[in-house]
Amino acid sequence: MDPDFGKLLPALVHAGVEFVVVGGVAAVIHGAARVTYDIDLVYARSSENCERLVEALRPFHPYLRDAPAGLPFRWDARTLSHGLNFTLTSTAGDIDLLGEIIGGRSYEELLPQTAEFEAYGVRFRCVTLSRLIQLKRAAGRPKDFEAIAELEALRDEDIRSDE
Amino acid sequence: MKQPLETDPVIAAYRAQVDRSLLRVNLRLTPAERLAKLQSALAFMAELRQARPTIREAPSTER
Repeated sequence: MDPDFGKLLPALVHAGVEFVVVGGVAAVIHGAARVTYDIDLVYARSSENCERLVEALRPFHPYLRDAPAGLPFRWDARTLSHGLNFTLTSTAGDIDLLGEIIGGRSYEELLPQTAEFEAYGVRFRCVTLSRLIQLKRAAGRPKDFEAIAELEALRDEDIRSDE
Repeated sequence: MKQPLETDPVIAAYRAQVDRSLLRVNLRLTPAERLAKLQSALAFMAELRQARPTIREAPSTER
């Protein structure tokens, strides 16, 4: 299911969830002309934040993406704290919840390399373009090469607009 | 002035093919408008996915 940013982002922000947008949606926020079908979020692993995240997403009925039908899955803070990264589907779209990102980076470590953005009437944090490029490079996945090229071109354009 | 990151040959080859006109259009939008554009593109593609079986089932025009 395609993400509904207008539902998802306000729900997370209004619940006080600590999260950072990364991945393809972060690329789009920075100007990439690329379509992505899920939203990747790095979330703080504190028990309080796990509780807030669970409550914020509960109305969207999150379930493990591509899991066999009928597989028992309880969406609660215990499940979240016992796992780390979750690929979920929900009525607000597909969501990748990342407790850590490539290189073992946590929400707290990522936070200094984020910037605040506003959309759908709420403010939220998104990884900076420079950090996004570094993360994609660190992942070293051939499928990302084209995306990295686009992000670097965006960076060039941004530099030009500053000159 | 910000400095560009170093790039490797494979990424440089892709980089030469990037359609920068699309990027410039996007850079003139606000981040909120960029997200709305993505949402709109996703909705359009969802419509296309639903349209596919209808095309397959279209009646033949042969006489």
